[in-house]
Amino acid sequence: MSHDFSKLPRLIDRHPRKPDSLIMVLQDIQQEYHYLPCEALEAAAEALKVPLSRVFSVATFYNAFSLHRRGDNIVRLCKGTACHIRGANLIQQQLETQLGIQVGQTTPDYKFTLEVVACVGACAMAPVVIVNGKYHGTMNVNTVKKVLKVK
Amino acid sequence: MVTLTINGKLVEADEGEMLLAVIRRQQIDVPALCHHDAVEPYGACRLCTVEITKSDWNGWKNYVTSCLYPAEDGLIVSTHTPEVIELRRTVLDLMLARSPRARLIRDMAAEYGIMRTSYQEVVDGDDCILCGLCTRVCDEMGFHAISSVNRGHGKEIAPPLWQPPPDCVGCLSCAQVCPTGFITYTDKGTTRTIWDRKFELLTCEQTGLPTVTREFAEFLSAHREIPKEYFQLSDRAHRKELAGTMGKISQWGREE
Amino acid sequence: MHIRNVQQLRKRQKEALAARDRFPRRIIVCCGPGCLASGSQKIVDAFHKVLKNRRIKDFSVKALRDTGCHGLCEKGPLVVIEPQGWFYTRVKPKDVEEILERSIRNGEIIDKLLYTDPATNRTEETYPEIGFYSHQRRIALRNLGKIHPAEIDDYIATGGYQALARVLEKMTPDGVIKEVTDSGLRGRGGGGFATGRKWRSCRDVVSDVRYVICNGDEGDPGAFMDRAIMEGDPHIVLEGMLIAAYAVGATEGYVYVREEYPLAVVRLQQAVEQCEETGLMGDNILGSDFSFRVRVARGAGAFVCGESSALMKSVAGAVGEPRAKYIRSVTKGLYDKPTVLNNVETFANVPTIIEKGADWFRKVGTSGSAGTKAFSLVGKVKNTGLIEVPMGITLREIIYDIGGGTIDDRPFKAVQTGGPSGGCLPESKLDLPVDFDTLTEAGSMMGSGGMIVMDDKTCMVDVARYFLSFLVSESCGKCVPCREGLYQLHALVAAVTEGRAVEEDLDRMERLSEVIVRGSLCGLGKSGPNPFLSTIRYFRDDYLAHIRDKRCPAGVCRELIRYEINEKCTGCMACISACAYNAITGKKQEVHVLDQDKCTKCGACLAVCRYEAIDVY
Repeated sequence: MSHDFSKLPRLIDRHPRKPDSLIMVLQDIQQEYHYLPCEALEAAAEALKVPLSRVFSVATFYNAFSLHRRGDNIVRLCKGTACHIRGANLIQQQLETQLGIQVGQTTPDYKFTLEVVACVGACAMAPVVIVNGKYHGTMNVNTVKKVLKVK
Repeated sequence: MVTLTINGKLVEADEGEMLLAVIRRQQIDVPALCHHDAVEPYGACRLCTVEITKSDWNGWKNYVTSCLYPAEDGLIVSTHTPEVIELRRTVLDLMLARSPRARLIRDMAAEYGIMRTSYQEVVDGDDCILCGLCTRVCDEMGFHAISSVNRGHGKEIAPPLWQPPPDCVGCLSCAQVCPTGFITYTDKGTTRTIWDRKFELLTCEQTGLPTVTREFAEFLSAHREIPKEYFQLSDRAHRKELAGTMGKISQWGREE
Repeated sequence: MHIRNVQQLRKRQKEALAARDRFPRRIIVCCGPGCLASGSQKIVDAFHKVLKNRRIKDFSVKALRDTGCHGLCEKGPLVVIEPQGWFYTRVKPKDVEEILERSIRNGEIIDKLLYTDPATNRTEETYPEIGFYSHQRRIALRNLGKIHPAEIDDYIATGGYQALARVLEKMTPDGVIKEVTDSGLRGRGGGGFATGRKWRSCRDVVSDVRYVICNGDEGDPGAFMDRAIMEGDPHIVLEGMLIAAYAVGATEGYVYVREEYPLAVVRLQQAVEQCEETGLMGDNILGSDFSFRVRVARGAGAFVCGESSALMKSVAGAVGEPRAKYIRSVTKGLYDKPTVLNNVETFANVPTIIEKGADWFRKVGTSGSAGTKAFSLVGKVKNTGLIEVPMGITLREIIYDIGGGTIDDRPFKAVQTGGPSGGCLPESKLDLPVDFDTLTEAGSMMGSGGMIVMDDKTCMVDVARYFLSFLVSESCGKCVPCREGLYQLHALVAAVTEGRAVEEDLDRMERLSEVIVRGSLCGLGKSGPNPFLSTIRYFRDDYLAHIRDKRCPAGVCRELIRYEINEKCTGCMACISACAYNAITGKKQEVHVLDQDKCTKCGACLAVCRYEAIDVY
């Protein structure tokens, strides 16, 4: 994850310069910076010939995008039905207490961001937590501490 | 042409014409808050919902928004059944929960017997009913200055990044089309402020009254072939001039 | 290497089979969604590490295959030893050496890794013996667990693309549509619309351009069937799309995959590339004049984009706001062109229907719902996982014979199907045969296939509140009945869970639900009240207990319950460490004390106590 905006033109150029590419371009930018800086929204609007208002509309409609800077480590808790039935609320409380932040927030040192996801599709191993893309299944009170041990 | 029944009466319509227009031609009053002839129908407020059926549907009924449903041969439309009225009442009740101070909504809800919302008033509710007319008109005009932001209950109408919109020209189309008056603007001297952005108003050489914003005039001359000089006079002054010219022409006619 | 015609495809199949048969002894490691979450990647890495420095006769690292989902996720990570078919469960990295030495080198079975049936307590050695599998009928999932998803030759070896070959060689587009129509295939994404009829409508619209889209936006929480198919057998989806495209006359297609499935995106992109390399996608496929290309489009985190018109907006780079469907997508869909949109599982059924014929397919399932259905059987059931069963099987068979019954044999309360658009069915409905129409009549629906089992410790009012909260956050916000109506309905149901509701509120909620169902613009809103409507229909007593007695019988709703420590407490202090609110005090080996004012009823203490010393009132 970097804050080097000079990469933007290259990221945008991965896709055809048409309005259809908007979501894919924003996803690539989100992946690179862990959020969508305003410079990126303006660059995308210009390159794809899409009004800035529409770029903003798309950036705020979809859950995948964040307009705020997020942490180096993204912790996602699944709140799907199976996970809910098997105690996701308890895992949420443990994560919030141990990280000292609420869902949707980032720690002041930008080390962790805590999010919830509607369902990640690993329902048989509920409840599930994903840390930096790595899946952890059958979570319980004792394993929460372990999964938060990241570099 | 197709023939359909509205509230028991046989009427004719163009094939594919939306039901709302057909219904209104019959002088039947069906509310439609997110509808405006200047833009494509949207189907957001649901107030124009009507009940439809057909003789071969075995009694099955459907509820559709008349602004978007095309007229068909043999369609049987009912605009004020108890279910439809209940639907409109509930929609207005729900809108009132979000916009309890909006005059228009209060008046319309009162017509359906609702003086106060029966639901929990929404925290931070405002007069915006999210009908989308402002953004649709702005897009139609070609400016795309504002758009809908977020989704679901947190949806709002805003300029990009909640900053004064760079693409706005201060034409006031959004404010004029807003049903509840939520979108406001101020004209003070030669300054117009809307969406927190300030514009310079051009003034009429004869009366000194404001005409349009500089940005709007520049757009119109660049894209709609209306010369910039046109805005040196207000519409009123233009009309006076035109009346003068017409007067002169009719005089020549009499002289001959 | 290009496959230019059907003869070359057959030759390639022979070659692929021969290559596979060179290694009769194989180790298959399951890397489906469940096993990945259990750490199966570590197993694969462990095998690779050992095999680097060890040679086993007649065994090569090439015979180590990781595959898609085997389905019995609860017992993962799963490893299958071929050719015997020995089914090893809960494998750990430290078992890898033993498996190589005993099972591969010496041909010995390792008993301690075998599966024990929870119903009979017998150990079972191979796939066909295991009850979980013997009740299943795998059509859409036929290759899952047998092939490596990123190797097109694995797919071709099992007969992949033969259906496409047959279609291009021997069938006309109308013939294909007839076959699919006669098979009785209905959409597997939840709508249950007759697939053949949809294809027919699209073909009948006069247009130079048509599209075929695969809906891989599986947004229903609790469902992962499509994820398993996209990750474990992407080619079957592409083959289905190719056949559909030929039938309706489309030259371009999209697979729309939700953002939360990054591995599925990768697998599909790999599969598309392989198809293009071999000429199975592109111009003049297999020497015919049929051309078709597919692009993978990604979602960006919006459940509403599973709705077809919203999905198409998203593919075009816009916000996913649905539109009224008075003019259907088959007439005016993507970019206003006729578009066929089908679910992943629907496409996965198509190659089998072409190969075995409509009559064969019709013989499976019920008269109204032909074929099978994949379900994700999850929740409070012993054998959680992915299954595929013939339509007409009863809920009881699924939950007890396949699922092994409820965890700890707790009393069964309800089974939820159809995701947020569906409903909860009680014990009295367990003997219902599962098919599209019976589930809908009973007040639920088939949906995409999520099947969540609930026991007596599940509060049905809380379940309704949970689904409504999900829908409120996923609503696109365009229309009033959904945006405002579901918001208010959620507030009313939440009031019940907090003990603030009165009985008259139930009537208000029912009337509001009716308006939301009638007035909403799209399926999300129209079916939004279902979680409430189905729970009030079958579990009205739960609601009344919350309202009249201010009590939550299942012990879930925090405002209405109380935790108390009883005399079984041994003073082990586990709960004190687990409590984040310092609500429990006490010394070692002394009965602990719970401070009701500080207690938030989060359940952490309950989860760690090994002595049943905490009661919920």
